[in-house]
Amino acid sequence: MESFKDRFFKLLAEVEKPARYSGGEWNTPDMDKPRKADMCFCFPELYEIGMSNLGVQILYDIINADKDFVAERCFAPAQDLADRLRAENIPLLSIETKKPLKDFTVLGFSIGFELLYTNVLYMLDLAGIPFLAKDRGEDYPILLAGGPCSVNPEPFADFFDVIVCGEGEEADIAILRAVADGREKGLSKAEILANIKNIEGAYVPSLKKDGETVKKAVVRDFENAPFPRRPLVPNIETVHDRAVLELYRGCGSGCRFCQAGFWYRPIRERSAESLADIGKDMIDSAGFSEMSLCSLSTGDYSELQRLEELLVPFCNEKHINLALPSLRISSFKSDMVRQSRRSSLTFAPEAGTQRLRNVINKNVTDEEIENLAEAFEVGYESIKLYFMLGLPTETDEDIAGIAEICKKLKNLYYLKRRKRGLNISVSCAVFIPKPCTPFQWEAQISFDEMLRRQQYLRGLLREIKGVSFSWHGAETSVLEASLARGDRRQSALLIRAYELGAKFDAWTESFNWDIWKQAFSDCGLSVDEYIRERGADEVLPWDFIDTGVSKKYLRRERDMGYAGITTKNCRDGCNACGANRFGRCSIC
Amino acid sequence: MLTLKYCKAGSACFISHIDLLRHVSRILRRAGITVNYSQGFNPHALVYFSPPLGVGVSSVAEYLTIDTDMNEDEVFERYNSAVPDTLRASGIFVCPKNPNLQGKVVSADYILDVPYKPIDLSGGFEISYGKKGQTVTEDVSDKIYSVFDEDGRLGLRLALGNTNLRPDRLIPRLNEMLGAEISITDVRKLRQYVEVGGALINVDDYLKTNF
Repeated sequence: MESFKDRFFKLLAEVEKPARYSGGEWNTPDMDKPRKADMCFCFPELYEIGMSNLGVQILYDIINADKDFVAERCFAPAQDLADRLRAENIPLLSIETKKPLKDFTVLGFSIGFELLYTNVLYMLDLAGIPFLAKDRGEDYPILLAGGPCSVNPEPFADFFDVIVCGEGEEADIAILRAVADGREKGLSKAEILANIKNIEGAYVPSLKKDGETVKKAVVRDFENAPFPRRPLVPNIETVHDRAVLELYRGCGSGCRFCQAGFWYRPIRERSAESLADIGKDMIDSAGFSEMSLCSLSTGDYSELQRLEELLVPFCNEKHINLALPSLRISSFKSDMVRQSRRSSLTFAPEAGTQRLRNVINKNVTDEEIENLAEAFEVGYESIKLYFMLGLPTETDEDIAGIAEICKKLKNLYYLKRRKRGLNISVSCAVFIPKPCTPFQWEAQISFDEMLRRQQYLRGLLREIKGVSFSWHGAETSVLEASLARGDRRQSALLIRAYELGAKFDAWTESFNWDIWKQAFSDCGLSVDEYIRERGADEVLPWDFIDTGVSKKYLRRERDMGYAGITTKNCRDGCNACGANRFGRCSIC
Repeated sequence: MLTLKYCKAGSACFISHIDLLRHVSRILRRAGITVNYSQGFNPHALVYFSPPLGVGVSSVAEYLTIDTDMNEDEVFERYNSAVPDTLRASGIFVCPKNPNLQGKVVSADYILDVPYKPIDLSGGFEISYGKKGQTVTEDVSDKIYSVFDEDGRLGLRLALGNTNLRPDRLIPRLNEMLGAEISITDVRKLRQYVEVGGALINVDDYLKTNF
């Protein structure tokens, strides 16, 4: 096997931010141990983004802790390195040992976002690996995909041998074991895949028969599930450059647009004692100066106060900033805010009027917005508000409601403090109907309508002093919606788009809508077909995945949304969505 | 005050100075070295560095001064238990005050991975490099203090600090002159110097005096 290490090292001197690729991070596990199989986690984004992904960190830790396996990492290289690699004829290499991706037993792609699909092809291309699973013989690694996009894996199903639907903690190890055992016994790839098919959560596209379902993989004992106590310390500043504690999985809010809220059910909490213990270990082993608490609705964690009691003294003593992100307004506790020294508040009402918030089941009331006055009293001078445009049943009145909220906040602010003006930043995404949500059947508003609504809101906000407005690109939103509810025909579409030059689509500077329009047309597909409303009886591409939450429940939730009827938070009583078939909800 | 002498080798040579500052704060925390903090609204750890090392250059003589009440043996041991081999410390000095190496260092010795050959600087030494999108041509012979034989390899003593010559900028010209193919990763810093009474003094020796 040719060693590329020295040649690669020299190339790094010529590229931007070489520490992205150099490896040697503190807490890197033993890479020399004997192993039955090795896996390379491939993250189709830059190092800074990929290293912030908690899922990859957890899985990397689990595999390296196993006596039989070793996991390495590879991130999408920036264009400058890709060009140099091609010029020097060096294939894409892992970070830890600079081993070609082709030479691993298993490659595991973590796919968290639809706009990363073309980067999967970019990485395979650089690695010299054929895109289509059917074109790869026995000599190639087994390709896995996983991550949030496994909710609807059909658009990329042709590329992978196995797709892990759901949580990878147990499934990944089981798959590695099946591959190692199979190789030891001299089984063919097809035979190994047949064995993998029996693992919970494993979807093998080449072996799926009509009518078969794939059951989402769920970690049942979350309290004792492994969590990295010795996290890698990134070489360069990453997006989330800190110790992150996952308080619980799932979410009881039941926001009808939210994929994560339904996909990660049932709710499973980790105890405050165990979290504090993990958090202290992370700080002691890595030395981070910041710790953040992460989950879908952190403020709803049932032992939050206990956790704070355990962590705050430790963090104070070690000069660690304990960050408390994304509080929902309803879980706003001013004593908690008082303890943390943040200059800006972040809230996500998502919609401008109570009516529309009832439709989407975002249980934030006007009254709770008024509670923000407490925060102003404590000294906050700026606030970030997140909204969505194009939600089902949205009218101009709802959009005007966004401006009304801003005005109301300004008034509240002036009643409490008058020294400096309040800074409000309004950020508006476009609603994207996502699989596995009550709104999975909804149409996305048309491109022109997106622009009109953005312009309308912009005009209204311009009249209010101190408000800045930012919005998501209409084109990327349309593409995200098309791919989120895409089908198997899109594997060809993705290849075509990549051939035409699409990659790093999540970056404004490299996203090119013309390429995508061309690719859709070359493949005989239409964007309109993907963003249209789906019929109630239609078979949806992702129906074969059993998420625990039945289609019937989702449809009922959708109908209740249209009727403006809210569903209570799961923490206030079970709504019988069905997810507890996959293990007990730890809050019921 | 304690000053650690540490290396920046292998993959660590790609860590920029800015990132290094963050690394050091983490290293000290996980090493359990108690650092004194500044008083003020945003207290920060009192640590001081020698002049920044360019990305890609390795070194066996970087210095880190820490304001701590711990003793030197303990700090040395704790530091080395909390860093990868690529950032290992080779020595520690007890200092009466911050030696301010960032401001005091005037030059450094580098070894280049190419056989030693004398270089005549009497006719000047012109290099060209890109700066803000423009090509700059400059005679830097006054910033090359000496050319010497370092174990059969090419050694250079270059200006460092307020008057500064980046070793990477010499490489294209050196490759041309010597018919070599070295890159920035083939350059290693060996020693740093301060100037006392007109004489260059190795920082190691300087730190042993009561400056």
